[in-house]
Amino acid sequence: MQVRIRYFAALREAVGEAEEALDLPDGATVAQARGLLAERRPALAKLLPACAAAVNRGYAQAETPLSDGAELVFIPPLGGG
Amino acid sequence: MSDSQGQHGGGHVSDRYSRQTLFAGIGPEGQRRLASASVAIIGCGAMGSALANNLARAGIGRLRVVDRDFVEVNNLQRQTLYDEADAASATPKAVAAANRLRAVNSAVEIEPVVSDFTADNALDLLDGVDLALDGTDNFEARYLLNDACLKMGIPWIYSGVIAAYGVSMTVQPHATACLRCAFPERPLPGTTPTCDTAGILNGIVAAIGGVTSTEALKLLVGSEQLARGLFWMDLWENIAERIELPRQPDCPACGLGEYEYLDAALSEETATLCGRNAVQVRPLQRGGALDLAELGRRLAPLGEVATNEYLLRAKLDGYEVTVFPDARAIIKGTDEPSVARTVYARYIGS
Ligand SMILES: [Zn+2]
Repeated sequence: MQVRIRYFAALREAVGEAEEALDLPDGATVAQARGLLAERRPALAKLLPACAAAVNRGYAQAETPLSDGAELVFIPPLGGG
Repeated sequence: MSDSQGQHGGGHVSDRYSRQTLFAGIGPEGQRRLASASVAIIGCGAMGSALANNLARAGIGRLRVVDRDFVEVNNLQRQTLYDEADAASATPKAVAAANRLRAVNSAVEIEPVVSDFTADNALDLLDGVDLALDGTDNFEARYLLNDACLKMGIPWIYSGVIAAYGVSMTVQPHATACLRCAFPERPLPGTTPTCDTAGILNGIVAAIGGVTSTEALKLLVGSEQLARGLFWMDLWENIAERIELPRQPDCPACGLGEYEYLDAALSEETATLCGRNAVQVRPLQRGGALDLAELGRRLAPLGEVATNEYLLRAKLDGYEVTVFPDARAIIKGTDEPSVARTVYARYIGS
């Protein structure tokens, strides 16, 4: 299956793209997607653990399963003010 | 509701706020509620300026403005309450903000507090307010604000901005998700970009300031239209979205009632300041107020020293050292805490 990964703030800057498609085995979870992304994109490895994840615009836990065509967005805590 | 509103509010109250009360979501009853409300703004840099400005103009009854810093020229690009004269005289931001806000709306009671927001004083600084707004530039203060507001049952709104990105999230204690439901662990200093490293556009401050200050109005008038979840925005990519965020039963703060940031003894003596080549040193043990005049006499032979009513400024050994009566100092010219501590120990004493 394929999910749409969207990047925000520091992640978007680290990746250089606002989104990408990611192929995952059927039934993969948010945690598995995080793991795969951290492996493929070392720049994300340090940023991802602090991020909140949302699947189809709802907050997602590590064990939340993904489905084909799902949208997964990672939101880092923003520190400035 | 005070009768004095119309007298020194620069015109009759209904004229002054007519463009706001015409909007059905506020109306005359909402305006009365705003006028009797009390709000704390913790941190008054870019976001705090935007929030304080909107709320003072909207006719909030009382604003407590807390900030530890003073105005500098590189603030003026985005910190809209301040001007060149404030930077030239190194006026503390809380004081400069109060001057400006009183000129904008004399009917609002403004209480400036030149202070750090710490586990020691958080409960006092939030005492008596209906709402707290986050104008801070660091997570140490935000996780503390989250704990303190949960403990006191005060709603607060998280606002974060960096580069062209922003977030806003309203926390109603034990009714909606809190900061730690979304981000359970506090990001450590140095692990997230700051205004120093990533820059910041003034447009995102105004945009998130508008979202947050409008949420504040809804909350204070008791609107049902309050936003739930986490709002996020990328002003450069033209994205504005909201994610749903339920409370997390295992949240350490609102789920388990562990207020570890509030209960912690002051553990950090130094803080690197956002957007500056500067470090704040905050002595963990301090006595009474520092005698700035006496300190000025001691430092005068060593470098150029100036004092005003709120602070002492000295140029020492290539550093610009600013000392406040509460014994805090901001050491400019380094972003190394160890260097700043050394400068502090050498010239102010430990
Ligand atoms: Zn929580």
